[in-house]
Amino acid sequence: MNATVEKIKTGDKFAELFDRLHTQLPGNASIQSIRKNAIAAFLKQGIPTRKNEEYKYSLPEKLFKTNYSLATKLPSLQITADDSKTFDISGITQNKIVLINGFYSQQLSSVNNLTKGVIVSDISTSFEKHAAHIEKHFAKYANVDADPFIALNSALNANGLFIFVPENTVVEQPIHIINIITANELSLIQPRNLFIIEKNAEIKIIESLDAYKLSTNVVVNMVTEISVAEQSKVQYYKLQNDCEKIAQINTTQVYQLENSHFDTNTVTLNGDWVRNNLNIVVDAENCETHLNGLFISKNNQHIDNHTLVDHQKPNCQSNQLYKGVLSGKSTGVFNGKIYVRRDAQKINAYQSSKNILLSDDATINTKPELEIYADDVKCSHGSSTGQLNEDALFYLRARGLSTDSAKRMLLYAFASDAINTIRIDVLKEHIDKLIEKQLIQ
Amino acid sequence: MSDTNQLLEEITGSEYKYGWTTNIDTETAPKGINAEVIRFISQKKNEPTWMLELRLKAFRHWLTLEEPRHWAKIQYPAINFNDIIYFAAPKPKKQLKNLNEVDPELLKTFEKLGISLEEQKRLSGVESSIAVDAVIDSVSVKTTFKEVLAEKGIIFCSFSEAVQEHPELVKEYMGSVVPYTDNFYAALNAAVFSDGSFCYVPKGVRCPMELSTYFRINSAGTGQFERTLIIADEGAYVSYLEGCTAPKRDENQLHAAVVEIVAHKNAEVKYSTVQNWYPGDKDGKGGIYNFVTKRGICIGNNSKISWTQVETGSAITWKYPSVILKGDNSIGEFYSVAVTNNLQQADTGTKMTHIGKNTRSTIVSKGISAGKSNNSYRGLVRINKGAHNARNFSQCDSLLMGDKCGAHTFPYIEIKDKSAIVEHEATTSKIGEDQLFYCNQRGIETEKAIGLIVNGYCKEVLNQLPMEFAVESQKLLAVSLEGSVG
Amino acid sequence: MLSIKNLKAGIAGKEILKGINLEVKAGEVHAIMGPNGSGKSTLSNVLAGREDYDVSDGQVLFNKKNLLEMPPEDRAREGLFLAFQYPVEIPGVSNINFLKTALSEIRQYKGLPPLDTKEFLKLVKEKQALVEMQGSLANRSVNEGFSGGEKKRNEIFQMAMLEPTLAVLDETDSGLDIDALRIVANGVNMLRAKNRAFVVITHYQRLLDYIVPDFVHVLYNGRIVKSGTKELAMELEEKGYEWIKELAPAV
Repeated sequence: MNATVEKIKTGDKFAELFDRLHTQLPGNASIQSIRKNAIAAFLKQGIPTRKNEEYKYSLPEKLFKTNYSLATKLPSLQITADDSKTFDISGITQNKIVLINGFYSQQLSSVNNLTKGVIVSDISTSFEKHAAHIEKHFAKYANVDADPFIALNSALNANGLFIFVPENTVVEQPIHIINIITANELSLIQPRNLFIIEKNAEIKIIESLDAYKLSTNVVVNMVTEISVAEQSKVQYYKLQNDCEKIAQINTTQVYQLENSHFDTNTVTLNGDWVRNNLNIVVDAENCETHLNGLFISKNNQHIDNHTLVDHQKPNCQSNQLYKGVLSGKSTGVFNGKIYVRRDAQKINAYQSSKNILLSDDATINTKPELEIYADDVKCSHGSSTGQLNEDALFYLRARGLSTDSAKRMLLYAFASDAINTIRIDVLKEHIDKLIEKQLIQ
Repeated sequence: MSDTNQLLEEITGSEYKYGWTTNIDTETAPKGINAEVIRFISQKKNEPTWMLELRLKAFRHWLTLEEPRHWAKIQYPAINFNDIIYFAAPKPKKQLKNLNEVDPELLKTFEKLGISLEEQKRLSGVESSIAVDAVIDSVSVKTTFKEVLAEKGIIFCSFSEAVQEHPELVKEYMGSVVPYTDNFYAALNAAVFSDGSFCYVPKGVRCPMELSTYFRINSAGTGQFERTLIIADEGAYVSYLEGCTAPKRDENQLHAAVVEIVAHKNAEVKYSTVQNWYPGDKDGKGGIYNFVTKRGICIGNNSKISWTQVETGSAITWKYPSVILKGDNSIGEFYSVAVTNNLQQADTGTKMTHIGKNTRSTIVSKGISAGKSNNSYRGLVRINKGAHNARNFSQCDSLLMGDKCGAHTFPYIEIKDKSAIVEHEATTSKIGEDQLFYCNQRGIETEKAIGLIVNGYCKEVLNQLPMEFAVESQKLLAVSLEGSVG
Repeated sequence: MLSIKNLKAGIAGKEILKGINLEVKAGEVHAIMGPNGSGKSTLSNVLAGREDYDVSDGQVLFNKKNLLEMPPEDRAREGLFLAFQYPVEIPGVSNINFLKTALSEIRQYKGLPPLDTKEFLKLVKEKQALVEMQGSLANRSVNEGFSGGEKKRNEIFQMAMLEPTLAVLDETDSGLDIDALRIVANGVNMLRAKNRAFVVITHYQRLLDYIVPDFVHVLYNGRIVKSGTKELAMELEEKGYEWIKELAPAV
């Protein structure tokens, strides 16, 4: 396979790159016009610098200092079925979708017994095949003017996943999306996903990101749009585990309509440089939104969780709990914003960020924000950073536990809070094991 | 609810009662800013060369800076810095020797402000008395109690006087906490500041009375750029109060002050502000742009700096009284009530920078928004590496009155030491209808009930104020919020 | 079993224990009484090994081993159990998981294999009955949201599970109503055995109506100023601590 390789240096090279490349990228005229609009938005914003408030604690500049090739085709590397199985979560095998650098692998995926009408497909063919859905939803939620990385992805994405769940349809078995990242040269990989959940439908999605034979560092700039229609219920779990060489900007843009539920957990146990943007627009009444996150960082890792819950309509509630355990020279960031628009009365919105620093060289930056324009609301946030409770530690030791096992027990208890909301038992067990493994190190 | 909302709309924009002007002869610099104007100011004040040099250096630096318009949550048209008069002094008729020689118009002004200098003088020696420095249009006009304080070795005078009489202290400390390179307005202030207050409390001295400065902008088209410098030497203690008012004018006037505090070993400085600059009318016309840099440094071990502010005035408030906790075991505190009504905008908070070991900081902020105003808390807590056992607790509460205003919280928390314990809590709410109803049922009218409830809401902060100010502040809160309800 | 000689200890540079001497033999129950501030809690904390306290002098032998040299967990593994006056709440750590870990570590220390889950749960059920504890408490987080009485019962339940050779009860009666007191005391009495000793620290004589001691010691100003049998407790109750102050002129 010949991947189209384009050398890029800094942000301003993207204009030239786009001119040469965009006609080779998938999509009809309307997609092409989205791409054109997006590149203009990107060039206007550029790669964020320290002056960009949203990227104050996570400077992506350094990621773009070297040459990258832009991955626009499926890599030639063959992944055997056996190899791909190492990324399975035991107990979740029925609906498995494997994406290699964002490209759908028919061969490695197994989607069985999906209810009639449910579509799982790669997005490039869906541009044509499911044009009506695309027309209505694609690039309608992730705003290219709001974030340069949304813009960059919208301009130059090469592939991704399309999921459609029709009205009144319940997908019983969770769908596990395995994002395999593989490369043998510095690459910028930009998957683009769109999940449409129609009225009164339900789905559980688990998304993991794993490296395979990754001989070099890569940047993944992924954008996922999720449309959550009236009365629908979506559980969305993100697991970032095996990604030591991956720098990623991972944007999830959610749009909720009346009476819908959206629950999400983001668990980051590994990664070189991670920026998760989770933006949720709640544009109708009586919605519920739950956001939970856990990260355990070490070495020189940088892990940033950025959330925005935008309450545009009254009578909704949202809940956020993010926890971080930091060691080594790692840096953690939590920036959460609750936005309550004018007249969005009777909103209950809570947000909590708790962190533990285990080493002298770790840094945590938190910025929990409230921006409130309606008076009849209950909004609060709390943020705390500290150490393990000394009294608890002593209590455990006085009952015979070694200092190490007492610490592990307390750390696990601290961390588990943020994953207890996971409602797929086998997934929770899987993550439990990964956490325990991490804590032993 | 709709009744109370209506009441709110009827009464919001209650009259600003400090909005008169005083008919005093003033001497002003030509409009605009350039090296000539700065030389004019320096010359008017008969300053030594080093001071002029410093001003010019700051001015040259200021020219390289951009007006900071983006990060704070405030909106206003670009300021034309060449349309401002940078120096306006009440014209001295002759050298003043005693109070009888003070311009009678000026004395009337202070009487209206509720601080009669004569009364102050008469009350000399009485326990609860306050030493006052009054600054009109950036120039200190009279400082009371100087002699009483001098006996203890305390220097309390205008900044200009300090430049003349205590140049060694000014040279050592001015710009040591807020250098002119700090920000756009700090640079502007260093270039054009016209006066302000200066206070030095020597080793081991507890200042026997509250020191106070009243600031007043009087002339049209002027900006006020005063500087305050407070130094508490080892083991010293001083409590300092600051009050501000301005006449009603249709134009926006700029106030860009700098306050620096230095607390040496075992010293304690308490700085209280009741800021009641003219907020503009209910359509947002006029009012003061209050862009102020206030910072203290706990330079010695076991020192303490405490900021308390009640912010009810100004069209726009942009200020972050901060503490650098450099000495081990030092303590920084920030207690704030910020009320915005009509079209007022406030973006205020604090920065606590922990450097020394066992340093502690407390932040209590109460924001109250009414009318169509926007009120933001913006704060930074930074625990540097090596600041072992640092502790911070922050509580930021917002109260919304009515459904046209906004209340925002932007805390920044940066921690680089694992032994730190930092807790931040914030809530947003409105006055409970059940609370109002309870008061109504006991015969208290809604407007009074709001005053009661808001005062209760702010109690933690108001309790920090010296007696004289606490009473005034309570009244001020009630007046600022007349009729507002959530 | 426990031999304390001239123990001097304090906290933050302040000496609180000013020379304690105490011998406890297997099978005995010793009560230590004293007014507030006499050093009762300091003694229990020093025995359990809380690091905030500094020992400046003296010796404590536990089963002939130097107790003061051991970290807290080894003291526990050697068979010392402290029932805390204020048991800490540990959110997120379930009582069951906590006990299982503690028991396994203690057993491992003694060279015993860990109990399998079935045996362990059987033991839990059996011991819970001892303190009339409901099953649901065992599944909750350690002490979290427990009432005062529940916390104390949980301490005794843990003691029953871990089967120590020496149990120090630090004001276990404080904050208990009469029913809870009876339950706690019954639990303790059932655990009395030839090879096990108790040190019961209390402010009031009341507890000693239920847990009858072999010896009573009065702690005052960091020293044991009077020792006797259970009658001493009665006398103390009658005459009050003022009486002790007369006995022990300030040093």
